[in-house]
Amino acid sequence: MNRLAALAAPRQDYSYAFLDAYAKRELRRRTLKAIAIPGYQVPYASRELPIARGWGTGGLQVTLSLVGPESIVKVIDQGADDSVNAANLRRFIARMSGAQTTTDALKATIIQSRHRIPEEILREYQALVLQVPDPEPLRAVESNSSRAHEMHAEADYGQMWLVLYEQLVRYKQYIQGASYPSLVNGRYVISPSPIPRWDTPKLHQSAHLTLLSAGREKRLYAVPPYTDVYPLEFDDIPFQVEDQRGWVCAITGVKNKFMNEIPQPDGTSTYELSDTGYMEKVAPADATRTEPPGATYYDEQGNFYHDGYLKPPIQPEL
Amino acid sequence: MYVAAKGGEEAIQQAEKLYHHLNGEVTREQVEAIRDHLPYLVDRVMGEASLYAPDLAALAIAQSGGDLYEAVLLLRAYRSTQPRIAYAAPVTPDELLTVRRISASFKDIPGGQILGPTLDYSHRVLKMDVLDTLNPPTSLQNGHYHEASEETGLTPADRPAPRAYPAVADWQRAQGLMAASPKHESVDPADIPDVTSDTVLFPAPREHRLQALARADTGGVLALGYASMRGYGLIHPTVNELRLGYAEIMAKHPVTGAQFSAGRARVSQAEVVTSDGSKAGLSIGFAATLGWNEVKIIAASTLDLEMNQPEPHPAHTEEFVMYHTEPVESSGFCIHFKLPHYVTFASSVDNIRKVIATFYSSESKLQPERAEAQS
Amino acid sequence: MTVISSRPSSPNSNDAPRLITAPPLLRAKGLRKTYGRIVAVDEVSLEVYPGEVMGIVGESGSGKSTVLRLLNLEEPADVGAYTLDIPDYAGVNLFTLERFARRMVQIQHIGIVYQNPYLGLRMRYTSSGNVAERLLITGERRFSTLREAARSWLAASEFPLDRMDDPPRKLSGGMQQRVQLAKAIALKPRVLLLDEPTTGLDVSVQALVLDTLKRLQRELHLAMVLVSHDLGVIRTLADRVLVMRGGRVIESGLTDQVLEDPQDAYTQQLVHAKL
Repeated sequence: MNRLAALAAPRQDYSYAFLDAYAKRELRRRTLKAIAIPGYQVPYASRELPIARGWGTGGLQVTLSLVGPESIVKVIDQGADDSVNAANLRRFIARMSGAQTTTDALKATIIQSRHRIPEEILREYQALVLQVPDPEPLRAVESNSSRAHEMHAEADYGQMWLVLYEQLVRYKQYIQGASYPSLVNGRYVISPSPIPRWDTPKLHQSAHLTLLSAGREKRLYAVPPYTDVYPLEFDDIPFQVEDQRGWVCAITGVKNKFMNEIPQPDGTSTYELSDTGYMEKVAPADATRTEPPGATYYDEQGNFYHDGYLKPPIQPEL
Repeated sequence: MYVAAKGGEEAIQQAEKLYHHLNGEVTREQVEAIRDHLPYLVDRVMGEASLYAPDLAALAIAQSGGDLYEAVLLLRAYRSTQPRIAYAAPVTPDELLTVRRISASFKDIPGGQILGPTLDYSHRVLKMDVLDTLNPPTSLQNGHYHEASEETGLTPADRPAPRAYPAVADWQRAQGLMAASPKHESVDPADIPDVTSDTVLFPAPREHRLQALARADTGGVLALGYASMRGYGLIHPTVNELRLGYAEIMAKHPVTGAQFSAGRARVSQAEVVTSDGSKAGLSIGFAATLGWNEVKIIAASTLDLEMNQPEPHPAHTEEFVMYHTEPVESSGFCIHFKLPHYVTFASSVDNIRKVIATFYSSESKLQPERAEAQS
Repeated sequence: MTVISSRPSSPNSNDAPRLITAPPLLRAKGLRKTYGRIVAVDEVSLEVYPGEVMGIVGESGSGKSTVLRLLNLEEPADVGAYTLDIPDYAGVNLFTLERFARRMVQIQHIGIVYQNPYLGLRMRYTSSGNVAERLLITGERRFSTLREAARSWLAASEFPLDRMDDPPRKLSGGMQQRVQLAKAIALKPRVLLLDEPTTGLDVSVQALVLDTLKRLQRELHLAMVLVSHDLGVIRTLADRVLVMRGGRVIESGLTDQVLEDPQDAYTQQLVHAKL
C-alpha cells in the first residue's frame, strides 16, 4: 500500500472533468457558502484552465465542479449557442466530462452563459452559471478591493446610490448599461455579470439557481432560487430595461424579446433574436423537430411575468 | 465568420488548422533545440508558469509559436491538473550551488564577487558573420557544455570554486547594520500558504507575496519596479546580493523516509537593501524565482521592499502589484476584449438613444452640432 | 452644572446672556495621541454645550488639528474618553466603538468642514450630490426628497442654487466651503467641527462665510468646535477658547477674557503678534 506507485495518481492525462478532486471539492464548498449567503462574494483559489483567463474560466470551473455524466449542458455567449467561444467551451466540457449537450434551455441541467439569460422561464433544479469578468459592483467607486470588501461588510452603498443620483441629474435617466447593480436578498449589492438590463429582472424570485463566477478575480457568488433581486432604483424613478422598440426578428417574426441589431449596408438595421436556442424552437431549421417553445419571461406584448416588478418610465424633475 | 448562427464549431476548428498550416507542425527536434539553445527563454517561461519542467516549457514555447503568454498558460493549465505528491525541503542560500554571485553594496565581499556566466560586459553587437556561414556555432551544441579548452577560449580558475558562499546579509547582521533574522522555526511544508491553491486576500501573507512575485510576469514587475526605481518609489534600492545557481531539490522518500535528491533546478535570487537613516538600520527586499532571470528578481525584490513602506505609491501596494503582474490573468483579460460584446454594446446604445430622445426630442440621430452641445 | 454663556465677542448681537441648564453635549477627557515617539496631543480635555462655540487656537504643530481628528472619530486616542450626549450612545466612550457603530455616529451626529475642500467633497460629483449623499447613506430612497434636501441645505448655506449641479472643482473657494457646510449639516448633526474653515479665502469672502456660519450655528443650536490659527475668526465665532501649544492646553477661558487679558506668556505673545 505504501508504495510510491500507490501514492502517486495513476498516469492519466487529466482527471474527470479536468480539475483534480481537491480543486472540485474546494469549489463545491465555496459554492455552498455562496448559496448560503446570497450575493456575498466568496473568494476561491481559481485554477488555471486550458482556455485563456477572462474567457470564461470562472464559469467553467463551476460548471466542471457540477457536471456529471448524466448532465445536459448548454453553453451560450451573447445568447448564441454557436458563438465561437461558446462552441469552444461546450466542446471542452463535453470532452472532459462525457456530458450531453443541448441548445434547448429547458432541457439543460446546467446552462453556462456569457452576457445573457435565456428568454424561456427556467425551472427548478436547473443551474445557470454566469461568467463574470468583474464581480465587484463597487469597482467604479472604489478600485481597491480590500476597501470594497469592507464597504460590503458595512452595507456602505451610499456611493452606488450617489452615482445613480448623478445620472438622473445629468441625463434625467439611469444610464448604467449592462451589469446593472442589484440588491440581493436585501443585503448585498452584486454585479449580475454583464447581462443586459433586460435580463436582470429574471433573477428575481427565480425558480432556478444562478451561480456567478469570476475566474480571474477569484470570486464566486450566487442567487439561490426564490430570492429577491432588485436593481438599484429610487422609489420615485423606476429602473428601465432596454427598449426593444417594437423591433421584429427578421427570421422568426417574433417581437418583444432581446434583439441583436444588425447594421445594413444601406444605413438601416435588421433585427434578430439574440437567444438562438429560442429562435430554433420558434422557427425550427429542421421542420421535423417541433419542440414547442416554453413560457417566456416577457410575453408577446413585452410584459414581464412578475406583475408590477417593472414600471413605466418617469422622468425626474430637477 | 465570427459568430455564425450555425457553424461556430466548424469555424474554430478551421481557424486552428489554418494556424498550424501557416506555422508548421511542432517536432521533437524543434523542442529539443529550444530547450538546449534558448535556456533563458525556457527559464522565463518556467518561472512565470511556476513549473520547473524544461522539456514541457520548450514544448509550450514551440506549440505556441513563441507567444510567451500562451506558453505560460499552457504550462499553468497543465500544472493545475497535477497532484502534489511531495514537498521539497527548503533551500537556503548557503546550500545553493552558486555560479554567479555579485553585490553592489561592497567592493569585495566574504567569498568574493563571482561574475559567472553573463553578457553584462559584452559589446551588444550583432555577430553578422554567423549569418554568413552555414555551420552553426559549436560551443553550445546540443546543450553539452564543453570543457574549458582552446576552442572555447575559457581559462580555468586557479582554484576550485567553494562549495558555498556566505550571505552578504549575514555579515551585515553580524555588524548590527540589519535586524537579526527571525528565529528559524521548522514548519511542515504542507502548512505553508500556497498561492496556487489558496484564496488570496489582502494584506497577503508574506508567502503569498513572494510566490506571486516568483511567478509574476517579467515585463510587469519590470514596469512597476522601474517606476519605483525611477522616482515613484520612496526608496533607493542597492543590490545587496544577486545569485544565480542550482538548487538541489530534496524530497522525502514516501516509504523509507530518507531524503533524496530529485534533481537540480536553476534558480535566481536577489536581495536589495535600503536605509531610511533611522535606527532600524537596513531594510531588505527579497525575491527568488525558478530559472535564471536577473531583471525580474531585481525588480521584484525592489517591489518587495517598496511594499513594506508605510504608504507606498499606489503602483507599489501589495494588491496593485500582485493583481497586475499576474501574467495569465493580465494577458487573458487583455485578449478577452476580442470576444463579441454586442449584447453589452446594445445596452449602451439603448441608453444613448434614450438620452438623445430626452434632450433632443427625436430619437436615433445625433447630429455633429448636437454632439458638441453635449460635451 | 450651570454656566453662563454670553456672546461678548459680538457686541451687535441682540442675544441676551442665557442660562444653560443642559449637560455638555460633547465631553472629551484626558486625550492623548502619539505617533511613534511624537506626542501630538496630551492631557487635552474639553466640554462643549449645545449651542456653544469652542475655539481652539495655536500655531501649526500645536496639536489642534489632531484634536479635531479625534473628535471626528477619524482615529481613536491612545488614552482618554470621548462622549457625546446623543441617543443610544450617551455615556459611551466613542473611541471604544467598533468600526461600523463609529461610522454611524460620525455620519449622523458629527458634521465637519475642512480647510482643504478636497478632503470633504467629491470633486467630480455635483454639489447637490455631495449634500444628497449624506441622506443616501442613511437610507433615503426618493429622488425628489434628495433634491429638496440638497436645495434647502445649500440655500441655508447661502450657496447660489443655479449652480447646485456644478461639480465643486468648478467652484470658487468660498462656494466650495458653502457646499462643505451644507453637506456637514444635511443630517442635522448635534456637533459641527470646523478645521480652519475660512483659511485661504479672500478677506471679504471670509467675512461672508463667517456670517453664514454664525447664523446657522444660532438657528440650528449647534455645538461647534472651531480650530483656527486666526484670532480674528476665533473672536468672531467662539464663546470660549482653548490655547494649545506642544500638544497641551496652556490656557482656556471665555474668548474675550483670554484674548483681552492673556495670562500665559505664550498666549500674550500670540495675541500681541496679531495686533
